[in-house]
Amino acid sequence: MSISVLVVDDEPEFLRRFSDAVLSDAELQLLGAVATGEAARAMLQATAPDVTLVDLGLPDLPGVELIRETTRRRPDADMLVITVFGDDEHVLASIEAGATGYLLKDTSVERIVAAIKEVHAGGSPISPSIARRVLARCRVGTAPAAAPSPAPLDPGAPPLSQRETDILRFVAKGLSFAEIGTHLEISPHTVVSHVKKIYRKLAVHSRGEAVYEAGQMGLL
Amino acid sequence: MKPARWACCSAFAAALWLAAAGAAAGAVVEPTRAEVLVDDRAQPPPDDAAWRTVRLPDASHDGRARALWLRIAFERPADGEPWAVYWPYLYGGGAFWLNGAPLASVPQTDATRHVRWQRPQLIPLPESRLRPGPNVLQVRVVAADPPNGLLMARPAIGPHAALLPQHDRRLLWMRTMPQAIGLVCLLASVLVAFIWWRRPSEVLYGLFALALALWGARTLVFVVEQLPNAEWAASRAFYHAATGGFIVVLSLFAMRYAGAYRQWVGRALFGYWAIGPLVRLLPAAQAEAWVGRLWIAGMIPVGMSIAVFIGRAWWRDRSAESAALLAAVALAVTAGVHDYLVAWRAPIVELLLPGWPGHRILLMHHGATLLLLVMGFLLTARFVDTLFEVEVLNRTLEERIAAREAALAENYERLAQLERERATTEERQRIMQDMHDGLGSQLVTALYRTERGALDAAQTSALLRGCIDDMRLAIDALAPADQDFGVALANLRWRWQPQLEAAGIVPQWTIEAPAEGWPLSAHAGLQVLRVLQEALTNVIKHAHAGRVEVSIRTTDGAFVLDVRDDGCGIAATFASPSGRGLANMRRRAQRIGARLQAQPAAPGTRIVLTLPVAATRIA
Repeated sequence: MSISVLVVDDEPEFLRRFSDAVLSDAELQLLGAVATGEAARAMLQATAPDVTLVDLGLPDLPGVELIRETTRRRPDADMLVITVFGDDEHVLASIEAGATGYLLKDTSVERIVAAIKEVHAGGSPISPSIARRVLARCRVGTAPAAAPSPAPLDPGAPPLSQRETDILRFVAKGLSFAEIGTHLEISPHTVVSHVKKIYRKLAVHSRGEAVYEAGQMGLL
Repeated sequence: MKPARWACCSAFAAALWLAAAGAAAGAVVEPTRAEVLVDDRAQPPPDDAAWRTVRLPDASHDGRARALWLRIAFERPADGEPWAVYWPYLYGGGAFWLNGAPLASVPQTDATRHVRWQRPQLIPLPESRLRPGPNVLQVRVVAADPPNGLLMARPAIGPHAALLPQHDRRLLWMRTMPQAIGLVCLLASVLVAFIWWRRPSEVLYGLFALALALWGARTLVFVVEQLPNAEWAASRAFYHAATGGFIVVLSLFAMRYAGAYRQWVGRALFGYWAIGPLVRLLPAAQAEAWVGRLWIAGMIPVGMSIAVFIGRAWWRDRSAESAALLAAVALAVTAGVHDYLVAWRAPIVELLLPGWPGHRILLMHHGATLLLLVMGFLLTARFVDTLFEVEVLNRTLEERIAAREAALAENYERLAQLERERATTEERQRIMQDMHDGLGSQLVTALYRTERGALDAAQTSALLRGCIDDMRLAIDALAPADQDFGVALANLRWRWQPQLEAAGIVPQWTIEAPAEGWPLSAHAGLQVLRVLQEALTNVIKHAHAGRVEVSIRTTDGAFVLDVRDDGCGIAATFASPSGRGLANMRRRAQRIGARLQAQPAAPGTRIVLTLPVAATRIA
């Protein structure tokens, strides 16, 4: 009942560090560690890792493309983006492509293991900046004041529930999942699963995805 | 507007015409001949005197005689109707006798007074005094002052009812109308003068007011029917001054209207105008003739020049206004010349229209009135046009102002944009410098120490993590979309929460974001976050604390960061030789104009950074 993990990173030092982290925990099973996009694509077609850690800056193809392909074929697959500074545009793009979370490259070994287990259990990490961007992207209908949606919403903008909106607002203020759980009177685990649901909504509603789907169906 | 104006003019002209036309004479006798005897007696001369026969009306009589008697025989049919005699004018006054007995009289010019009797007479012939068959009417006609002199009207004798309309009509036109027009002119003059008083630059209004006043005064002279000898010359001088002045003022008006006014012409006209009244005041028997015949004749070319100037204006602008004015001037000038010729009994009039001068129908009154009316219309139209122009101008002006405002707003926006760009550039440079001095030197220090083997793995790791944390802060502070201290602070809190918890420290955050946003620039925010990060690092590394309270808020005029732990106190916390933390924090605070205090708390340490809001914008 171990969690199978694939690590994709072209930097040998990072590849080693994340592989070591996976190997260090008995519940995790390292399915492979590859340094190119093509190798990763082959691995993903041949095997079905539970969690894939993907670097966005691969030499041969964009990590976002890899994420999109994989989650389209296997919607339940968890893809975690590896990023140096959690720099927001790229992270948001990967989430819209289907990623369910991200890891900073300087994350400690223990946190890497914990994050892999967390995402596999149905939760997703999120930083205040990302929460803010997601809120801005979704333009929640129940937003206060700010004139009831001046322009008709972007048809690709996913509708968020009130609860999801509340959670994102707390995250954007820097509150931890535990603190949010206390505020909303739900368990921290429920909070993280909400975040993962939000990510999934974003992925389904992302414009690129919609265009891609339409292309697949022969509409374009 | 224009058609309506023309309709008004036409209606007025038609009314004049209709009123003048019409009237009938039933069984009325209009004697065309009478017997005349020059005789100054107050009673009719005897039948056997040297009467001679003349045609009526007669204006040919010698002007030097003082009075004469007229004898008219008429038949009285036995119809029983009340009869009367209608006498159109009797300028010098006179008396009526019927069948040898006095019937009625009108004040007469004599040695003490001058009479100007403008009214027509309608004298009832009492039935008791009339004889069936032939009757004799004897009338004493007193010479009026020149130019009228000894004038014999053509009377009408007949039923009173048949003569009444004729009498009333002449009364209306020759007396009532001039009176009314005189009064109206004076009133209108006051109104127009008021406009001119408020707008002295509108000279046309001033001249129009003057013309109205002069014409009104001249017309009202005729209201006075008897004058003592002493006042007679002055009255005539006044009359001539008004008449001549009217013509001169109209001429000035026409010149200005045509834009052809020359000062010397104005002066010359004024000089000529002044001659008339002055001459009339001379104590000479011929004064009236000199002025009335010669001086007034000199006004005829002036009057014609009016028509020329208006004609020139019309030739240039071809406007309906100028055309109407030209027509009115032409009519008035013609009427004036006509009246002059009739008054002085020019032979040419007798030649063209035999007997016409004797009827004494003078047209100038009406011509001038019509002219004044047209001038009034014209100036009113100009006034109204001006109002419209002002409206249009206002609208144009408003549009221009709006356009200018838009341009200004655009300029302002462009300047603001430049200012923002400049501010952003400066901010970036400041942060670059900051990273260069801070992160750069930290990394170089780490390099040197590692190279000389002074650091073990754990120390190197800690040093590098510090560098990475610093870098994160800089990236958060610089993130273009979230240049907001709140987001950077949230990110810091989110990163530090697990670290603090992992170190066994319970953090408590009190963040009171002001509604209008944090009053911090990106650079100041970055320094504040670094101070906070340094403080938290010290708490984890050296304080041995169980709790840390972080409070960030704005109070009156200041931004306050307050970090309090329950650890081992200042001395122990900052004792470490490698942790020059406190000095670092002070330097950063100083750089943005903030004050940093490190105080002992009981237990633990309290670090308070206070930044006056005035300084935050600049920092």
